[in-house]
Amino acid sequence: MNAPALTVDGFVKTFGGVHAVEDVSFTVADGSVAALIGPNGAGKTTLFNLITNFYPADAGQARFYGASLAGLAPEKIARLGLQRTFQTARVFPGMTTLDNVLAGAHRRVRSHGVRQMLWLPGARQEERELAAEAQALLDLVGLSAFSAAAATSLPMGAQKLVEVCRALMARPRMLLLDEPAAGLTDAETAEFASLLRAIRDNGITILVVEHNMSLVMDVADDVIVLDLGRLIARGAPAEVQRDARVVEAYLGAQME
Amino acid sequence: MLEIQSLCAGYGAAEVLHGVSLRVAAGEIVALIGANGAGKTTLAKTLAGVLSPSRGRILFEGREINRVSAHERIARGIAQVPEGRQIIGGLTVEDNLRLAVFTQRRRLGSAAIHSRIAEIGRHFPVLEERMTAMAGNLSGGQQQMLAIARALMVEPRLVVLDEPSLGLSPVLVSQIFQLIAGFRQRGLAVLLSEQNARMSLAIADRAYVIEMGRVVLEGTGQELLNDPAIAERYLGVGAGSASGDDEGARLRRKDLVRGLAPILGRGSDSVRS
Amino acid sequence: MDQAVQIIIGGIVQGCVFALIALGLSLIYRVTGIINLAQGAFCIFGALLGYTFQVTFNWPMPLAILAAVAGTTVFGLVIARTTFVPGLAYLPNSSMLMLTAGLLTFIEGLTLVLWGSQPYATPTFSGERPLDIFGVLVPTQGLWIAGISAIVILATWFVMGRTALGKALAACAENPMAAQIMGIDVPRMTLMSYGISAMIAALGGIAVAPLMSFQFDTGSFFTNAGFIAVVVGGTSSFIGPVAGGLFLGVTEQLAAGYVSSLFADGVALGLLIITLLWRPQGLFAPRRARRHDVREDVRVHRAIVDFRGHGPALAGIALVIALAAIPWVINDGGLMSSLVITLILFISVLGLDVLMGYAGQVSLGQAAFMAIGGYTSAILATTYGVPPLAATSAGIALSLACALVLSLVTMRLRGAYLALATLAFGLLVDSLTVGLTDLTGGPSGLVGIPSFAIGPLVLASPTAMYFFTLALIVVIVLVLLGGMRSSFGRALQAIRTDQTAAAALGINVPAHKMAAFAIAAVLGSLSGSLYAFDFHFLSPEMVATPRSFELIAMLILGGDGTLIGGLIGAALITLLPTLFQPLALYKTLAEGAILVIVFRYLPEGLLGRGAWLVSRLAGALMETFAPTAAADKLP
Repeated sequence: MNAPALTVDGFVKTFGGVHAVEDVSFTVADGSVAALIGPNGAGKTTLFNLITNFYPADAGQARFYGASLAGLAPEKIARLGLQRTFQTARVFPGMTTLDNVLAGAHRRVRSHGVRQMLWLPGARQEERELAAEAQALLDLVGLSAFSAAAATSLPMGAQKLVEVCRALMARPRMLLLDEPAAGLTDAETAEFASLLRAIRDNGITILVVEHNMSLVMDVADDVIVLDLGRLIARGAPAEVQRDARVVEAYLGAQME
Repeated sequence: MLEIQSLCAGYGAAEVLHGVSLRVAAGEIVALIGANGAGKTTLAKTLAGVLSPSRGRILFEGREINRVSAHERIARGIAQVPEGRQIIGGLTVEDNLRLAVFTQRRRLGSAAIHSRIAEIGRHFPVLEERMTAMAGNLSGGQQQMLAIARALMVEPRLVVLDEPSLGLSPVLVSQIFQLIAGFRQRGLAVLLSEQNARMSLAIADRAYVIEMGRVVLEGTGQELLNDPAIAERYLGVGAGSASGDDEGARLRRKDLVRGLAPILGRGSDSVRS
Repeated sequence: MDQAVQIIIGGIVQGCVFALIALGLSLIYRVTGIINLAQGAFCIFGALLGYTFQVTFNWPMPLAILAAVAGTTVFGLVIARTTFVPGLAYLPNSSMLMLTAGLLTFIEGLTLVLWGSQPYATPTFSGERPLDIFGVLVPTQGLWIAGISAIVILATWFVMGRTALGKALAACAENPMAAQIMGIDVPRMTLMSYGISAMIAALGGIAVAPLMSFQFDTGSFFTNAGFIAVVVGGTSSFIGPVAGGLFLGVTEQLAAGYVSSLFADGVALGLLIITLLWRPQGLFAPRRARRHDVREDVRVHRAIVDFRGHGPALAGIALVIALAAIPWVINDGGLMSSLVITLILFISVLGLDVLMGYAGQVSLGQAAFMAIGGYTSAILATTYGVPPLAATSAGIALSLACALVLSLVTMRLRGAYLALATLAFGLLVDSLTVGLTDLTGGPSGLVGIPSFAIGPLVLASPTAMYFFTLALIVVIVLVLLGGMRSSFGRALQAIRTDQTAAAALGINVPAHKMAAFAIAAVLGSLSGSLYAFDFHFLSPEMVATPRSFELIAMLILGGDGTLIGGLIGAALITLLPTLFQPLALYKTLAEGAILVIVFRYLPEGLLGRGAWLVSRLAGALMETFAPTAAADKLP
């Protein structure tokens, strides 16, 4: 067993007196796919925002391969190799699909600013290589036809895929995906499941928030269940699905 | 009472609803179930008159209301309980209730408004106690009650509820659903968008399943509740493998893994087979 | 002691006017989330309308005042109905801000056309003899101002706090989507708040007009003072803007009374910066209500200009050849000079494009860098005989330093706040160019600036200057193109639309913003220096704040985020008044109208629109031939 990729240690966050996240701790094993599930408003996205320091936590901290993320600016966290996507696809408007994906490679670019402005051969070469890589990635996920189109003109499902590609271009060690399959059809979801597994098989750890239970059951090694800001269960998918508290909180109790 | 005919709507160039048709009869509770992003909220916003449809027709009591403004729709009897409650936190509970009839305040007169607020107070004792409190200081459940009470202020004939159970604890959720089930006795028609499929199907007379901006299934609440496909997709029962385990899928996966390796900067040694 | 009391009374009077403008600004801001830059222009419009009714038409004063207030209110409603309210439905906040900048320019232009450029002084309401209150002389007009302000403030407080209308406006302000769902007609409420704001502004303008001299372009001064008052006071509470206005008025008068009037502007700017850094919610704001802005959902679709491939490269080469051929075709010296100015201004627009078009940081202070560059190099070259090239470099260095300080100070600001901070910076530089008479020659300008020279090569003729500037532009465009088409440009564009997502990708947002500011400053400064050397003369109004608006008009007209688009805008706005001399009077009006119309109907600009049309045409052609292409691919 390797050291955990991500350790979440006692996160607490309140918004105006409402406990959004209450003392949540868990670990995500290196090279695994963990799914974070729970009803709307359970605090899943808040948890993501706490991990990546988009909000400061009231208490608790996250550690990424042992290094504390507390107090680190979001871009510093990204540079450590922890990449995230957003619940509503946040592709950059006014840029092509290819440029959107290339924007993900930002932290890998060696020859910055001035060298590019002077059209130095090395800088041009690097730019060409990255573009080829991004094109290959779009090919793999079946979006190459859209590479020159405005990213915002793509259907929502494709935009979410572009966002995942953008995160992959950064060569992350771990991905945090926030509802990546929302708005995908069943067939697309199956494709997406394969992509997730392929990413994992390349040694990248994944923590995914997802509502689509079949996707969760299909790809997750580990399921973490939140309800009203608290962690109520965690374990293998099959176990969690049988847990009485999960059934009640997530799937809804039967009406009398 | 409400009839929607092949409605298309969306945000700018991004169309979300691709030809939705459904109807709600007087005094009927109709549930609309579907995943995040299926188009439920877009439909609610289009019904409210906040978004205008690009194609299709919305008929209310036999008259087309496509171009009718939001406040006129309320005056005609369509009330909204929007997603995320959308109460005005900086105003008191009573001011929130008063604002619900803002556009009709002259027609109704202050006496009628006063008696309606008193009536709301009788039905919602929780709100009665906190009439002068800032709405933003109410708990989540109380805010949801306020949002529903606010819709009732206009004495509507149709209430459109968008995700009323969002972020509420199971106990509160069943309270809210009991409240909605009680609308039937008042002769109110209800269109209820919910992710909580089990609860909403249980109180619904009829229901529509919406996926990717299209209605894919309709039936009575009980029929859908017993439908195995619905059970798997929305009720989380017996979820199986989404991707096939056949040879083609395995090959495709191998391609993906190998294709990704150079992009992710992984040597072949670090890739699991 | 007496002097101090006099100064404080003067400050309160001035503060009352600032408070009224701040009140109008905050009213619109609370309902829409937009700072209405045109606010100050309504002051001037109202005051001059009052002057015409009272002096020219000889109407009795109460009637004239009433008619002027009513006229301004109707004018405001018409403006809001045709531009502001419809724009809100689909424009993002930054474009809305620029729309109001266009409105400011438009109303100033209209005022210029109607009333000319001379200053006006209207008679006081009740004679010139000041009232003696316990030995302190108070001008009666001051009492009028204080009285009118008190009534307006009380009336606004009553409407906002005590009536159903006020509650509805509060609902629109806090959560427009919820208000709309509750049946509140948000566009009508917006219209109403705009009308009320125009009315308040007119009242303030009419009341203060007898104490100051008004001319067509005093509006931006009032907008700026009102904005500083709003920031200092905070927008969340009703009392904030009023307290902020009074505070600003008294502070400015104290600074002007005890130090110098030049210092007063510095104090205002300092106050603004301290507030923004220390208490961004305002000094007098207890808490800040969160705005749920529905309009954040609005996606801006604009044409994507792709520089890849041979097409753009060939088009660029053709354009350069065409531009280089112009001097052989044209023999008109005047036109040649205008062309040189077009190119020089285009350099400044290029910098603005990087900052605004790519990085999305709205700047209303680009002309200030022209002023810094222009004056530094002109003073060095004229007074100290420094060679032009070295003088220009010194200007660039100073601009760069100013830009770094400005970007550090404004780092955390976004949207309207950033725009207004840059406007305040621009106005500060304006007041320095006018006020530092010993250095800059004051309002009458600096004369005898030598021609630009590179070593022994003196560029004396317009033609020589033209070729030099053109060559410079080719180099600049190539350098910027190299940056914009690679990771640097992508990072700027990412920041423009979504700073959060950009940071999540590991993009260093502050560093990139600073770089964009630096590029804008360098190019602005260079352009200002060339402008001075080319004209052999530099006066404050050549590089003042209206010039900033003009540069934005050029950029938007051509299409922002396209680099080359600004050339079209610069050419149109510079050359049209030259070609049609009678149009010169209408120049400001036309610039304002262009800004408004372009934002309202053509947000992607002429070049962007052209690119869109070309791509649509190409798409249609593809469609026509697609069946054959698809058939070819079939096995």
